[in-house]
Amino acid sequence: MKHFSKGLIAGAAAIVLSFSATGVNAATPDDQLVIGTSLAQVLSLDPQQATEAKAVEIMSNLYDRLVKTENRKIAPQLAESWEIDDKGITFHLREATFASGNPVTADDVVYSLGRLLKLDQASAANFKRIGYKADNVDRLVRAVDPRTVRIDLSGETTAELLLYRLAMCVASVVDSVEVKKHVQDNDYGNAWLRTNSAGSGPFTLKRWTPNEMVIIEANDAYAGGAPHMRRVIVRHVPESQVARLMLERNDIDVASALSAADLKTFEGQQGFEVQRVPTGGFYVLSMNAGNEYLANPKVREAIAYSIDYKGIEQTIMGPYGRVRNVPVPEDYEYAIPNPDWHFDATKAKALLAEAGYPNGFSLTLKTIAQTPRIDLATAIQGSLGQVGIKVDIQQGNGSDIIADHRARNFDLLIPQTGAYMPNVLGSMEQFSSNPDNSKEANNAGNFVWRSAWDIPELTALTAKASLEPDAKKRGEIYVEMQEKFVEQKPAVLPLFERFEPIVVNARVKDYVGHPNQLTRLEGVTKASD
Amino acid sequence: MKELTASELARRVLHLVVSLFILLTVTFVIGRVLPADPVGAIVGELADPAAYEAMRARLGLDLPIYRQFVIYLQGLFRGDFGQAILTGNSVASDMLQAFPATFELATLAIIISAVVGVPLGLAAALFRDSFVDKFARVVALVGHSIPVFWFGIVGLVIFYAALDWVGGPGRIDVFYEGMVEPVTGMLLVDSLLAGETEIFWNALSHIILPAAILAYMAMAYITRMTRSFTLEQLSQDYVIAARAKGAGPARTVTHHVLPNIAVQLITVLAISYGNLLEGAVVTEIVFSWPGIGQYMTNALMIGDMNAVLAATIIVGFVFMLLNFIADIAYAILDPRTREAAR
Repeated sequence: MKHFSKGLIAGAAAIVLSFSATGVNAATPDDQLVIGTSLAQVLSLDPQQATEAKAVEIMSNLYDRLVKTENRKIAPQLAESWEIDDKGITFHLREATFASGNPVTADDVVYSLGRLLKLDQASAANFKRIGYKADNVDRLVRAVDPRTVRIDLSGETTAELLLYRLAMCVASVVDSVEVKKHVQDNDYGNAWLRTNSAGSGPFTLKRWTPNEMVIIEANDAYAGGAPHMRRVIVRHVPESQVARLMLERNDIDVASALSAADLKTFEGQQGFEVQRVPTGGFYVLSMNAGNEYLANPKVREAIAYSIDYKGIEQTIMGPYGRVRNVPVPEDYEYAIPNPDWHFDATKAKALLAEAGYPNGFSLTLKTIAQTPRIDLATAIQGSLGQVGIKVDIQQGNGSDIIADHRARNFDLLIPQTGAYMPNVLGSMEQFSSNPDNSKEANNAGNFVWRSAWDIPELTALTAKASLEPDAKKRGEIYVEMQEKFVEQKPAVLPLFERFEPIVVNARVKDYVGHPNQLTRLEGVTKASD
Repeated sequence: MKELTASELARRVLHLVVSLFILLTVTFVIGRVLPADPVGAIVGELADPAAYEAMRARLGLDLPIYRQFVIYLQGLFRGDFGQAILTGNSVASDMLQAFPATFELATLAIIISAVVGVPLGLAAALFRDSFVDKFARVVALVGHSIPVFWFGIVGLVIFYAALDWVGGPGRIDVFYEGMVEPVTGMLLVDSLLAGETEIFWNALSHIILPAAILAYMAMAYITRMTRSFTLEQLSQDYVIAARAKGAGPARTVTHHVLPNIAVQLITVLAISYGNLLEGAVVTEIVFSWPGIGQYMTNALMIGDMNAVLAATIIVGFVFMLLNFIADIAYAILDPRTREAAR
């Protein structure tokens, strides 16, 4: 094989020989990590384009950002230090090189952020929301000298909110020299970068065969020192039961995307560790406030009282979720206690009668046919039925359900969310901001707009919080936002805080799932058998 | 059966082309009216409408459907299948990856099923209502009625997880990955070409279980058909005559029955092979096999029509080609046409 170094072949051959010699159960080699997951949704590995969870997990090991989040705080990554003033932030870059050998410079940072906004896909949404656009990014983001970057505040954000966004995968710094070589038709190198890597992270992309595997290899030039794992192989194992067998046989080291039943077999089992990785996001019941019944807050409150949250948590959600009806995880700073919504058929019926529907009505419920949402839908159908709301479930694959959601073409729908930063705004903003509810606005990227829920007051509060520089005052607004949200009987009703359960072989040390799928693998080691 | 002349051959080739065109048109129309949303899959859930429309235009999906079809056909004539949304690669290069994986699996499966299924069917017919016949019937019934998904999982639990006789899901152990230069794309062949016997054995240990399971499914059909073809022949006068002249069961089969059922058997084998080459979606998913079935399913899920169309063309083409080859085989094997040719 041309691209392979002889050393690697010799190494692999040695591993093979040692196995055939001892005849032990084939286990993954000590210097390779094998992750089993579903790669069906991975469509691109361009950090300024892809936002899908599995793609993000891979890309966060190929690229560095200026800063990262660690234990919910901002920590340095490519920027070793920074100063914040009223007008913006000045970053000082540490000495680092890309895998190509090119040095990481301020120009690369400027190019990458410009690239994000000029490619202008869903990945740019979080930056656009705080006022960074294709037409002002060149003015707001500048290279002061090769190792200093200046980012001015847009006027629609605070420095803190900007920093959290710069810690996202979409703000990864790409090798501008390398990417520019591959630009065609003004695409900022997108066609090339989708399937190649040009970063300064601990790994480089070796191979990506769709529906089969992604192989990343150690980047020996990585500024933090070469990672312990020589290769990380992410294998496409779409069947949960099969992934479970492979874990038990030591053919994979880490499995995500396991079903609840398969996860259960690993709980307490020696040799494996089950991690519940918090996402800061939620499983949500979206109600279309454009529907004649659901427009009525009394009806929405009745629905909030018609769901057996505790029961569903125990029987269905298990490792996937925890009851929470406020779109802020309970352990975040300034989170308010949960409202007293619980299954109460009498109360729900009374509310429906008050709203003028003593005999109930019929609704459709759309959901992606996927664990655990499909089971969640069935449970909701059952309990709403008990209060007189007849629910007809329609399931579909990802793209058609999302298209219906975007087009307001649903009564009830079960989407899921994630937090892009670990604070109230990061998890709640998408539930509390809808600047223009008119159909003509066609703001399909906005979560609340899709439910046609008009909330001018909450929207204003959210904007105010985004601009409040004083932490204490901002905290007060955070509390007010959550209280208002509950008061208004949300059309986007959070049901459960969402966790991503993963199972890790105990041989693997220091694999810690990151809440935003930004799990870095440079520190991962493996004990010998 | 018609004799194979040049004009007959030309007629058949024309037939092939027209069938392919109809297949293409139908697939294209179905693909376009499906509610799948390739644009959403690319730009992401949170994209604003402007970005969404821009991508739609870039993919050419804003054009009227007949224009899209014409553009697609024009590309086809240049040998350009377009780009797959799913992978960003040209569809042609994706097919070169996915098809050999399926081809390798299907070919091994059809060989196993023919080698086991035909003799079993013959024996069942010769020793009608004996133990062999009953056994063959049970085997066929089980093969027909048990879902392949269940078979796959149970096979893995027994032969991979518990007994450790075979390799797990995937085409090869991960540490062999990328060590053989792809020539044919079929790992069994490529590893032998490269002289890497160790990799060959490893690949064989991975392919044998899914191939055996697919073979079993196909065998159920092949055994049943062989049995009924043979029974039909056994009641014919010429067989009774042969028997009366003292031919034993073995000689009856090899010299009299087999030549007469060969033509029908070839049809059955060709149909089975064609079905296997379509890509056994469920088997491919259970065994994480990166073949054409899985590729097509994932492409269909996001409405990636370039990929679906190309896969359909290839599968359709292979199917028609098999038919074509079976037809030629008739002409050669059928004693009547053979006589006529002389």
